[in-house]
Amino acid sequence: MATDLVPEVVQPAADSSQPASAPRRKRRTKTLGRDLWRYRWLYLLLLPGLVYFALFKYLPMYGLTIAFKDYVPFLGYSGSEWVGLKHFQELFTGPDFGRLMFNTLLLAVLTVVFVFPAPIVVALLLNELRVNVLKRSVQSLVYIPHFLSWTIVASLTYLLFSVDFGVIANWIHGLVGGQKTDYVAQADWFRPLIVLQLLWKQTGWGTIIYLAALAGVDSQLYEAARVDGAGRWRQFWHITLPAIRPTIVVMAILTSGHLMDSGFEQIWLMTTSLNRDVADVFDTFVYYIGITQGSFSYATAVGLFKGVIGVVLIFGSNLLAKRMGQRGLF
Amino acid sequence: MTIFSTRRLAVAAALSTALLAASACSGGGENKGGETASNELTVMAPLFGTAPDPNGELQQAVEKLIGKKLQITWVPNAQYGDKSNVTLASDKIPDLMVANEKSPSFVKAAEAGAFWDLTGKLDKYQNLKPANEQTAKNTQTNGKTYGIYRVRPLLRSGIVIRKDWLAKLGLKEPQSVEDLYTIAKAFAEKDPDGNGKKDTYGLIIPKWPGNYASASPYDVIETWFGAPNGWGERDGKLVPGFDTPEFLAANQWLRKWVSEGLVNPDFATLDSANWNDPFVQGKGGMIIDVNVRATQLLDLFKEKNPKDFDKVTLVGNLKGPDGEKHSYPFTGYNMVIAISKQHVRTEEQLDQVLQTLDKLESKEGSILLTNGIEGRNFKADGKYAVPINQDDAKVKAIQNDVDKAFIQLGTRASVGLGTYALRPNDEASRKMREKFDVLMNEDLKTAVFNPALSIIAPTSVAKGQTLDTIIPDARIKYLSGAITEDQLKAQIKRWYDSGGTDIAKEVNDLAAKAGG
Repeated sequence: MATDLVPEVVQPAADSSQPASAPRRKRRTKTLGRDLWRYRWLYLLLLPGLVYFALFKYLPMYGLTIAFKDYVPFLGYSGSEWVGLKHFQELFTGPDFGRLMFNTLLLAVLTVVFVFPAPIVVALLLNELRVNVLKRSVQSLVYIPHFLSWTIVASLTYLLFSVDFGVIANWIHGLVGGQKTDYVAQADWFRPLIVLQLLWKQTGWGTIIYLAALAGVDSQLYEAARVDGAGRWRQFWHITLPAIRPTIVVMAILTSGHLMDSGFEQIWLMTTSLNRDVADVFDTFVYYIGITQGSFSYATAVGLFKGVIGVVLIFGSNLLAKRMGQRGLF
Repeated sequence: MTIFSTRRLAVAAALSTALLAASACSGGGENKGGETASNELTVMAPLFGTAPDPNGELQQAVEKLIGKKLQITWVPNAQYGDKSNVTLASDKIPDLMVANEKSPSFVKAAEAGAFWDLTGKLDKYQNLKPANEQTAKNTQTNGKTYGIYRVRPLLRSGIVIRKDWLAKLGLKEPQSVEDLYTIAKAFAEKDPDGNGKKDTYGLIIPKWPGNYASASPYDVIETWFGAPNGWGERDGKLVPGFDTPEFLAANQWLRKWVSEGLVNPDFATLDSANWNDPFVQGKGGMIIDVNVRATQLLDLFKEKNPKDFDKVTLVGNLKGPDGEKHSYPFTGYNMVIAISKQHVRTEEQLDQVLQTLDKLESKEGSILLTNGIEGRNFKADGKYAVPINQDDAKVKAIQNDVDKAFIQLGTRASVGLGTYALRPNDEASRKMREKFDVLMNEDLKTAVFNPALSIIAPTSVAKGQTLDTIIPDARIKYLSGAITEDQLKAQIKRWYDSGGTDIAKEVNDLAAKAGG
């Protein structure tokens, strides 16, 4: 058993210089069968993962076909009529596309600029704390908002910023004077509030992974640097930052795949009649047309488009990371 | 990573996937037979509290009466629209479904043949045939009846006003919109609560969950000003209500209210579930909504302080600036019970189901659905039902099942056809209840009906998602001062340009067909 799991020899990769001929293919199939048998236990261990992905990720993708149909539930998948790219055409030429794209991208940019670096900064600051008790307690405290649901965050925002009784709104009004500002409803304040909420809720939780990376930095490096006369700033610049750079790159690539996800719950909860023009993003749009209006095909087409952009972004940023000399994700 | 070459891995993955697909295909067994349709009915209905126990006393009593087992899916009312759409997309449409027969997904499903067309089929069932012609017409979808409507009073709009504030400031109940403005102004500026501070406003409006022409306070006020209710005839053609000078006049007027501080400042965001709060807290003095809010508020005041049992008055619709009274009617029903074709396949089966429904909506059935089990949770006292044994947990369960759930299955009960009315708690509530009918009958004389209510334009089904929010959003923006009148007009033009022109044409064509 145990010897099964340890490969005796690493199989050389197929020699590509030789032309693929019939006997060779046969041989290869034979090798494959032998290998499958030899590593059967490893393959068996792999199986649950494959089953999971096939069952819950790939099989449902069959439903994406309705993006190219005029899907009427009563007629079923096969009974509905094929319409080709009609829904995509409708999306790209429709009156909403420009606005949706702009809103989604602007929120994504704001997220990258303000929300993405925040955990790194906080993690670095926490890392510099020398009093362990303080560090631990601050760490725990900043995690807490992550566990509150968006519904609660939205209600809190409303309580704090409402024009009628909002504590912070009234406080700012007291300082600045003038006309009362309706932060919750006004279109101008929508994006700042969304970014604020994201910062408040996710920053603490995001520090975990960076703190773990920081804990892995060899303390001998710091000692050596101190011996060489490096100050706090120099140590940070030449040791800490390079040490967590791979983590930052991986996190950046992973984030890029979600750039088009604006966070349905948060946006939906913060949308009002006054700010809908800036609040509508692909995620909420899919909900409105799919679930509320029952235009399943159109909604699927929009979702599919969004998904494709996400894939392009992931591959793009991975490529970019490699070009810049970093190790990519794959 | 080189232990397994990628290609071999891919082959292995493909193999196990194929295996899996094979097993998945053989998994879904056939368990839907025609058998179940005959002695069991599946039902979907809205729920307003905790779901009843399927083996509870009330459900058993109902099942005994109709002679069939019921399998009811209760869906919380707040999610009912979404859940309906998802249900319509599934292959498990219940036999009887309480449905909004105007929602795009229902219309699409019904036109594809998912539901029985009941046009002309209901008259032979004593308790199912429409009692009111106007309402029956309203429930149609392009000339077809897809369900049995759940009746509601045909006119419920009114203004709830703080009675003691009126008295304190020496004001009379309003007759016209000018009176209303005077009252609002006084409520906001003349310190009706007498605390020496200017901390009150006149009218309370919440963030409205519906779109244009959905009985919002805005819609009601526009009707008072003479604007059509939804659609109206102008120069021989049907036009949407927001494309009329009256619509603009009403909103100019209301914008003045907002800028003068006569409306709650958070009218764009106040959750409609908390609509009563500012009224009960004494921040605002008026609410334009359905009349039952008046009794709700009466009870809330009394709960806070038993001495405050008479702080609320109810006024009907008002005269507009032209001196004429235009009243905002309701549709006369709230959703319909539709019968799906999934299990009920033949005309005989349909007849069976309708007979069962007929029993459910009979006098006996209506009492079960609306009042409960006589002698268990209520006793009859003349035309009133008096709750009894409410300390008993089992009886409480019956009462809950009635009030929060089963009443939703009644199609006739809520206007008291053959059932008992709940006896009001005190004199003030009783008087208020009696006022409902008086005001309704008075206002019905001047009711402005929507001539296009039964018409569903194909374009609005296809493009509703984009169009529906344009007008209500623009209206709120205009009222709050975020956009000018020209920009409001531009938004109305945007509605036409994004598909509204087609809708207007279709509505006119379909109306001509239906009327001709």
